[in-house]
Amino acid sequence: MRRFLLATLMLLLPATIRAQDLNDELEKMTKEAMRKVGPSVVQIVTQGGIDMVVTSAKGAVFRKALGPTTGVVVSTDGFIISSAFNFINNPTAILVAVPGHKEPYVARKIATDRSRLLTLLKIDANNLPVPGYVPKKEIVEGQWSIALGRTLDAKREQPPAVSVGVISALNRIWSKAIQTDAKISPINYGGPIVDIVGRVQGILVPASPKGDDETAGFEWYDSGIGFAIPMEDVQSVLPRLKEGKDLKKGLLGIRMKTGDIYGAVPEIGEVLKDTAAARAGLKPGDVVLEIDGKPVARMAEIQHLLGPKYEGDKIALKYKRDDKTFDVNNLELVGQLTVLAHPFLGILPMRDDPKLGVDVRYVFAKSPAEKAGLKAGDRIVKFGLAKTDQDFTGQVPGRQQFTTWLNGQGPGTEIKLDVKRKDGKTETLTATLDAMPGSTVGQDYAVPDKLPEEASHKKARAPLETNNKNIKPAKVDPPADKAETGLVKRNTPDGEHKFYLWVPENYDPDIAHGLVVWLHPPGKNKEADFDSFADLWLDFCEENRLIILGPVSDSETWLAGESDMVVAAIHDTLKRYTIDRQRVVAHGLGVGGQMALYLGFNDRDLIRGVATTGAVVTALKDNLLGQRLAFYLAAGDLDPLVKGIAESRTQLQSKRFSVLYREVKNRGREYLDAEQLRELARWIDTLDKQ
Amino acid sequence: MRNRRVLVIALATLLAGMATAHAQQSFTATANEVNKKMVKLFGAGGFKGLASYGTGIMVSAKGHILTCNNHILSTSDLRVHVYDGRFYRAKVIFREPELDVAVAKIDDDVDLLPHFDFEKEAARPLAEPGDWVLAMSNCFQIATRDEPMTVQRGVILAYAELRGRRGIFDAAFHGDVYFLDAIACNPGAAGGVLANRKGDLLGILGRELKNTLTDTWINYAIPIQAAVDIQREEKAEKVSMASFVREAIAGTYKQSEKRKKEDRGGYHGIVLVPNVIGATPPYIEEVVPSSPAAQAGLRPDDLIVYVDGEIIPSIKMFRELMRQIGPGAEVRMEVQRANRLHSVKMKLTEQPKVQASK
Repeated sequence: MRRFLLATLMLLLPATIRAQDLNDELEKMTKEAMRKVGPSVVQIVTQGGIDMVVTSAKGAVFRKALGPTTGVVVSTDGFIISSAFNFINNPTAILVAVPGHKEPYVARKIATDRSRLLTLLKIDANNLPVPGYVPKKEIVEGQWSIALGRTLDAKREQPPAVSVGVISALNRIWSKAIQTDAKISPINYGGPIVDIVGRVQGILVPASPKGDDETAGFEWYDSGIGFAIPMEDVQSVLPRLKEGKDLKKGLLGIRMKTGDIYGAVPEIGEVLKDTAAARAGLKPGDVVLEIDGKPVARMAEIQHLLGPKYEGDKIALKYKRDDKTFDVNNLELVGQLTVLAHPFLGILPMRDDPKLGVDVRYVFAKSPAEKAGLKAGDRIVKFGLAKTDQDFTGQVPGRQQFTTWLNGQGPGTEIKLDVKRKDGKTETLTATLDAMPGSTVGQDYAVPDKLPEEASHKKARAPLETNNKNIKPAKVDPPADKAETGLVKRNTPDGEHKFYLWVPENYDPDIAHGLVVWLHPPGKNKEADFDSFADLWLDFCEENRLIILGPVSDSETWLAGESDMVVAAIHDTLKRYTIDRQRVVAHGLGVGGQMALYLGFNDRDLIRGVATTGAVVTALKDNLLGQRLAFYLAAGDLDPLVKGIAESRTQLQSKRFSVLYREVKNRGREYLDAEQLRELARWIDTLDKQ
Repeated sequence: MRNRRVLVIALATLLAGMATAHAQQSFTATANEVNKKMVKLFGAGGFKGLASYGTGIMVSAKGHILTCNNHILSTSDLRVHVYDGRFYRAKVIFREPELDVAVAKIDDDVDLLPHFDFEKEAARPLAEPGDWVLAMSNCFQIATRDEPMTVQRGVILAYAELRGRRGIFDAAFHGDVYFLDAIACNPGAAGGVLANRKGDLLGILGRELKNTLTDTWINYAIPIQAAVDIQREEKAEKVSMASFVREAIAGTYKQSEKRKKEDRGGYHGIVLVPNVIGATPPYIEEVVPSSPAAQAGLRPDDLIVYVDGEIIPSIKMFRELMRQIGPGAEVRMEVQRANRLHSVKMKLTEQPKVQASK
């Protein structure tokens, strides 16, 4: 008590002088901390490597890792830790300049931690100063946090660059990072944040809770939101990195039943093949109760507990099935999920058919369907695995029911079909499913040159036939008989955003139309711009039954946040017109293409295809069996992005998405020519292939 | 015991309140003092994303204003709002593009305006990284007339060379600047004050620029101790910010001539690999026998990493740099050869005469 009083008085009595002293003292301590850690803060320069391009949330194209970056000495004999961001382009040379050392060193990349986005380097140097660090439990919110970097200057005798802030939060990015409000930019990535007495709190990385690639969070540079991996965690992972082994995030291998990670109970919706969860015998419907003895009520809590784990780490899990609980111990997490391709039978179904079954519109050449003897005009009436024990129910249209069932069967599965031929005879056929064409690396999807014009039974709004009185199809209000055609101007329901529609004059509400969502290039947001774009598509809209939707962005570029407005415009159109949910395509050129990719990955329940010109995939996501997504990527060979676009194809295919890639000679970043447009229209026409 | 604790807490709260008040005063007094010596400028702009407003620093009692030599001065109708709300018209009397500053003078016959004694301020030593600073300007045109400038607090992030551009234009100023950790370089901020906590003038806030090395926006101020090499009447001279301000106030300043760009650098004899992509690393393909490069011991497959301490990320950058170094100059190079860095010195010669081709 007395001590407290004394301390209080000492701190506060000479208040007039104190305030100034306090600032002086802080300034002095900041500089002292800089001097203490400065000699351990190194400059990293990279040369060569592939030209990489990323798109920030603001859509700007940015070449990565061109300038120097920062690293921190972690052992006297030359191990340097830095941010993986700095080596993302696989540089041909890495040079490390150490303060006080005349010549820079050539560095070797030892290993990368893909979970915490750190890279360990080694230089041939000795007696390097290793800074002390703060134990994690001593880091608290509000503590001073001084960010150091060494990139602005080749003069290595200078103190490091400094930015002063406080610790804003702990346990960020699924419990992996601490957050600081010091100004963080590429200057500091790989550098330390230190406390007021010069102990390292953590290593700065660009990170975002929403993405997990090396560039996630870059868009937050200088925003007062920065992230660092606690030095204690870096220390504990160092021995593993020194062995030269890349570390991956540990995965359980489940998908939740709903996407709501904060609200719903953690009920499993899907158990992925060859994963920890599959080995533990988890099944859809199970509810996770505890991880490592800690109760979990929501998916977010599971992510917080699993976030810090690596591949090979073991966990204990308690789950509930029906009314029993089960325990699994020593469950080893996996580092990679086996990604599955969608299965492919090789037919196009007839659309807008209220009757039970699926009419075959077209059979793809050399497909399993063709090999099994299936022909256009046949009607699939029953299906199954060992025998044809599955009936069409009429709860949803036959086309949809069959696709959903197929999605659950992997490529290579043998299926049986009861097929009613044109002559009335029924036969049982056997087919072995392929992977969706275009979903294997190096093998693009080739759209058939000619498709049958007849695609619809023109009964989109008719009630579905059923074979069971108890089955009642979900009731939806069908679109009206009459709807505006030509150029239609509308507003999103909140009245905030305007968008355009081009509806062909031959629009028929009984035919489901494909929807092309055109994300205009920046600035091309006037009515005349949309009108001239629609002109290009005029013939295809009529022939292929397409409607074009043109959301309007008022910003200089597309912002990720504008996806809400685009989605609202799509929903509004779905209500007013008869739209085929299997053929909704996001389409764009350049930055518009980046937005199309963003929509495709982030609004999976709506978008089935993404068609871009001059756009690069930057935040790749997994292929989901329940939600199909196909890609049409076009590039001009003169476009500086062409390499990145070709690389995007490979990335997408390695995730088993179906891709069609077109590189056009002697073209830059321009819109498609007539031939490509025809191909794209056919590509859209085959999005509902089975 | 219990009562005493309550008393102590009350006392502590009271004292803490006082301390806070004093802590605030230490910045308040400085900000108020500095604000009186600053002006809001209104001139050309308002198109292509260029602001039509800016900030200036009063450097004489008679209304001489030091500011950034930017587009807003391109007008015959430059207007000045001083701290107490009075407003005047002013004319630019001198510019120095190499320092990226200009001096304007209020048209009216004024006197006794609060101002910085620039000579005295510039005689102080440079501030250093980690120093606490205040950046003051009329960024975003938040203030007019007697409304005070926006005050931002930060630290000096680094003292280093400015390499920047807006769009494709080179930054006008090329020397060392203070980089700031406050986001201070916003529209209208150029020409504002960078001061320390005591209100000493440290620098003049810069333009909105991007760092060409990292492609990120930067925040900087030109130190008032800055001095640059200029060309005047075909002679190389050095001019400091202080001498510019002194001579501008005296009305005797002579503006520098446009520096002639070296259009042809010295000969080195290095043949690089074909420049195929945007950032092809500068690998040596061939060394011309008995050329300066050969004498320096450079070999094919060497990777050029630094030239005179500058990082050379690409062939393009190597060529740009070498164009500016004339014959007779000695350059130091670091090249990577089989995972080791080698340092060599190379003396450039006159370009060899091109043999008449057939």
